[in-house]
Amino acid sequence: MKPRRSTVCLRIFTKFWLFSIALGSVIPAQAAGSGPLSFNAEVQLGRRSNNPSTPFLRLAPDERLFAVWTEDDKRTAPPIEETAAVHQHQAKMKMMPSPMRVALLASSADGGRTWTRPRQVNAAVEAIEGEEGGPRLALGKNNQAYVVWSVPNEKGDKTRANIRFAMEDGKGGFTPGRTLNEIKDTARFPIIETMPDDSLLIGWIDRRVDNPTPRSLYLKRLSAKGEQLTSSYKVGDGLCECCRLGIAFADAGKTVYMADRQVSEQQIRNHALRKSTDGGKTFGQPVEISDDGWQVSACPHSGPTIGRDGRGYLHVTWFTLGHSEKEAGIYYSVSKDGGQHFAPRQLVQANTAPEILHTTLAVAADGTVYLAWENLDEQNRAQIFTRSLAPDGQTWSPIQQISHSTANATRPMLALSKKRLHVAWTETEGETSWVSMRTAALDK
Amino acid sequence: MGLDENRGTRQMKRGGSQITRYRLVLSAVASIMGLMAGLNGSAVTWAQHEHTTPAAAPAIGAQAADFELKLLDGKSVRLEQLRGKPVVINFFASWCDPCRDEMPLINEIATGGDKGGYQVIGIAVEDTRAAVLQFSEEAKLAFPIGLDLNSIVKRAYRIFGPPATFFIDAQGTVRDIVLGPVTRERVRQGLKKSGVL
Repeated sequence: MKPRRSTVCLRIFTKFWLFSIALGSVIPAQAAGSGPLSFNAEVQLGRRSNNPSTPFLRLAPDERLFAVWTEDDKRTAPPIEETAAVHQHQAKMKMMPSPMRVALLASSADGGRTWTRPRQVNAAVEAIEGEEGGPRLALGKNNQAYVVWSVPNEKGDKTRANIRFAMEDGKGGFTPGRTLNEIKDTARFPIIETMPDDSLLIGWIDRRVDNPTPRSLYLKRLSAKGEQLTSSYKVGDGLCECCRLGIAFADAGKTVYMADRQVSEQQIRNHALRKSTDGGKTFGQPVEISDDGWQVSACPHSGPTIGRDGRGYLHVTWFTLGHSEKEAGIYYSVSKDGGQHFAPRQLVQANTAPEILHTTLAVAADGTVYLAWENLDEQNRAQIFTRSLAPDGQTWSPIQQISHSTANATRPMLALSKKRLHVAWTETEGETSWVSMRTAALDK
Repeated sequence: MGLDENRGTRQMKRGGSQITRYRLVLSAVASIMGLMAGLNGSAVTWAQHEHTTPAAAPAIGAQAADFELKLLDGKSVRLEQLRGKPVVINFFASWCDPCRDEMPLINEIATGGDKGGYQVIGIAVEDTRAAVLQFSEEAKLAFPIGLDLNSIVKRAYRIFGPPATFFIDAQGTVRDIVLGPVTRERVRQGLKKSGVL
């Protein structure tokens, strides 16, 4: 029997309505102002012939943009003879590449277009660690730069390393680097932040207790003049041995948030947030950010980043494989209650290929979150991608690819001012590397 | 063609026409919605949230993916050229704790390679030649080390973080995989599966 036209119309309307609901549930709304950013052309930092890598960006109180990165240390001329021939497979080596690297610092007063001549931070010849454990930079109220970095032990073992510190000496150079960890060969993955009182909070992953394997979180305080205010002290346990730390402040420095990748007895590597309400002296029990369930006994080498907005919301991004490769990707979550609870994770971008990715974020006062990470393109090359999340916590901008590497662009770092978003990263191709940076003007 | 058949045909046509019209309406609605979503960028967002189906992982019983890598000493190694004897591939990095922890064991198996008729190859991932060379000297590594500086082999073998060890038989078939650090027992099992013991 032929259905009546009105019945057909009703059916179509009903299906359309249901379809709309279904479609609406998977397509997030897009608010005005969350479109793609317009990035300027790439700027390269450092001397290309010296293989720059591992940039870290910071904005000074006077709005200058600072960058620290590492380059080959040309003071160590490679030996010509076959000193490296420790076994048959390495015999007859004519030139031995040096692992020695220098940390360089430069600043830009015009939003990253032009840079001051790079200044060498470390006077000693040392094999500064890069990648996940690269140098970090903080700036004091008077725009004074402080730098921390990690060096391997005397045998060259990066996993048994030491944290070094230097600061601008007021004469155009840097103070001699000094080691901060009191127990030798136990510290890696340093971070440094200027506290609101202008003192310095330095953290690292510590292995002074070498068994059980999960590492400890240690902090140390220095004055603005670099004087030691405290010895290093433990504030947490159970850390993954090879993933960098995240940190954020609130309440004029009374509240300190730290995020790290944990490792359980079952080798599950979820992330946790620790909160201190006494300026970093003591921390409460860690709160799990997301139960991702990634069980891996290998090295992720990919830590979280946290940031806090003007409303007090905490924003976190991280990489996980989840329970299976199908879940692998960059994730984001937010806590609106000061780190007591986190919203269910949101997928920022799924892995396009089997690869551990690295992500970071920067948070504007109004709650806009800018993220940058790497993922593989259609040619299986790692590229840098960005997108932003509007203050409503739901409206994502389109994903933008901002690098066009011929090999691999990895480990982006961000700096955010009221006017601009800066993204820097390392590109590697074979045995060469360089540092690229792009800047987007923000129309707010 | 009989009447019923004609009717049936007509009904089918009518039914088909209704379905077609219905589909057209839905398609149009979907297109309009898609267009609206696309105009403000959400369609892009949606598409980019989709997980792509990963390429098949190197599975036990499958042929090991061939590769050619430059070694620390400047020579090259190609997996296919080693066909005819079992091969143990160990993915590692100089910065990786468990890699360093397991390296004495990997070194130990490597030194037994000549006698056992197998070959151990190290593949350094996410590393630099200088750092790997230093590690090699420090740990007195006794096997050839390929430099996967562009992460091509790592991706082909789907390594989500070193260390990882693959045991391949003389015919080039993957016989065992250990993702994470190996133990002496797992090495023994892997070698046995690949036809060494």
